[in-house]
Amino acid sequence: MDAYDEDSRGPQAPGGSAGTRLPEDFPEPLPPPGAAPPPRTGVAALSLRYQIGAALALGVVAVGACVHLVMVFLSLAPANTVTKQHGEAVQDWVYPEFEQNWKLFAPNPLQQNIAVQVRAEVRTKDGGLRTTGWTDLSAQDGAAIDGNLVPSHTQQNELRRAWDFFAATHAGDNRPVGMRGSLSEQYVRRIVVMRLYRDDPTSREGVIQRVQVRSSTTNVQPPAWSRERVSDKPVYRVLPWWSLTSDEAAGGVR
Amino acid sequence: MNRLSLTLSRGIARVTEAALGPYQTAVIRIGFAGTWLLFLLREFPHRQELYGPAGPWGWNLAKELTDDNHAFTALLWSDGQLWFECCYALAILAAAALLLGWRTRTASLLFMLGVLSLQNRSVFVGDGGDNVLHLMAIYLVFTRCGQVWSLDARRAARGAAARARGERVPADRVGPLLWAVLGLALGTATLTGRFGNGWLIPALLWTAWAALGLWWAVGRRTAWHEPRILLDVIANVLHNGALVVIMAEACLIYATAGWYKIQGSRWQDGTAVYYPLHLDYFSPWPGLADLMSSSGTIMMVVAYGTVMVQVAFPFTLFNRRVKNVLLVLMMFEHAVIAVVLGLPFFSLAMITADAVFLPTSFLRRLGALAARARGRLGRRGTRAVPPPRSSEESTADHVGFTA
Repeated sequence: MDAYDEDSRGPQAPGGSAGTRLPEDFPEPLPPPGAAPPPRTGVAALSLRYQIGAALALGVVAVGACVHLVMVFLSLAPANTVTKQHGEAVQDWVYPEFEQNWKLFAPNPLQQNIAVQVRAEVRTKDGGLRTTGWTDLSAQDGAAIDGNLVPSHTQQNELRRAWDFFAATHAGDNRPVGMRGSLSEQYVRRIVVMRLYRDDPTSREGVIQRVQVRSSTTNVQPPAWSRERVSDKPVYRVLPWWSLTSDEAAGGVR
Repeated sequence: MNRLSLTLSRGIARVTEAALGPYQTAVIRIGFAGTWLLFLLREFPHRQELYGPAGPWGWNLAKELTDDNHAFTALLWSDGQLWFECCYALAILAAAALLLGWRTRTASLLFMLGVLSLQNRSVFVGDGGDNVLHLMAIYLVFTRCGQVWSLDARRAARGAAARARGERVPADRVGPLLWAVLGLALGTATLTGRFGNGWLIPALLWTAWAALGLWWAVGRRTAWHEPRILLDVIANVLHNGALVVIMAEACLIYATAGWYKIQGSRWQDGTAVYYPLHLDYFSPWPGLADLMSSSGTIMMVVAYGTVMVQVAFPFTLFNRRVKNVLLVLMMFEHAVIAVVLGLPFFSLAMITADAVFLPTSFLRRLGALAARARGRLGRRGTRAVPPPRSSEESTADHVGFTA
């Protein structure tokens, strides 16, 4: 290391900066007057045996980078003749660590406010059962985001994306599709129970037995200058009542 | 034919003898590490809810999903509270170390571990910003991103200056120690079967660990001149390849976002920007959003401008001047998005991704400005002491006196 490092740096002169390989901050490392030219680096400085090694490395990296970029490109491109034939290879390469989605507000931005609301059946301390009114959890999120320069993922993403996940893994009749369907159901239930125990006065005082979740979808009213008209009535998707596991009922979620 | 081979050999010389874009890679290192660090600190009060074993996306749920999709996460190695707290703390430390460029390569490995472990543990709390960080954390491992603006660079320069004065530089102890600890951790994880879920990340970690050891061993022997240069060449080639991938990734982000928008009726009729501004989850400042969307003309110009810039960006890389204009526009747009849509970490990650295309001259000026500001701050802090000078200047003076 010493020979290589020192030679490449050349003698130090007042005002000259250290290092060509690792230039310290700035200014630009000026070669001191009369300094020997730095030794050759790169493949040129190697004997044939090592040059072959370097060429091999160059080839592997070049091919690897190209293949990777092509795979990522194909995973992002619309379905096409190539992905029809080699879709599985593309998926195998990209998932799970290089998964990506850049259809940001595309092709069209979401034009509806989707709110998740919940009500609960609570066993009160005196042994009775009480059904709470609907709590709009998304409205709570919205209020937490208002005037907030750094909204938390708990406010902006947690419930919103949990509902997306639920909707994507459930059929129209609210039946779960596959393993993810059942996961998303548990996830939504655990979120709403956690939030009820945190904020709902009735739930805080008793033990939640069952919960019912619904989504309320309202169109964003078009801008005044567009002269479009859309309904401003919310559309509800009401899920069946869910019983809680003892773990969930005990407030196991923090 | 002759010219072709000349160009080719020049190209090969360029990509093998230097890790290109030292300032660009340093700025994205600082940017991505800083974004993740700020995010982790911001979510510190919410860490249990987002990533903890008893959060809504509970340990069992996460385990079931990662067993299925084979995503890497160290957080699920244990459902203990202590393990979680240690991982979160380590993720913070790794981000800080990478930001400062302390043992940059090792820090980048740990940074990647932190990002993947937390994000893959709870995939459903992330957004586009997390996605950018996820990819870049992996790509950064392959770069020599600590060549400038890093503690590593400062240490190397000091060592070189001391050697030039003829002083003996004490052998580095921290590096081998860090390497040994890392090896021990990797060995334990492997032997206890923690790496059973997906081979990519474990293979990457072991390879990087072996390479770090090899680098150190080869560096100690003066006689091993050529192996050392070969390793240096390989490191340069890897760096340059990763840099190309990072740049291409940024282009893919913009191209995808842009080309898919072209197909959208709302982007065509010019109302697209109005809608996100009026979603409850993305409108922290409703008054500001109303003000911005009060004019149909402005909305249309912004919508069309956004699509044009996103689609055009990859092609403008062939023209320096146009590219720089677009860079300014995109960074400005992301700064606006940070505030208006309430997406500060996404915007910071995107601005950082853009920064890889900033011209070197600009970055150097920025660096000089930062150094001057730091110097001024230092002077104000220590009035009694003679004005501090940069370590480099003072060592240079010494050389002048002794040589």
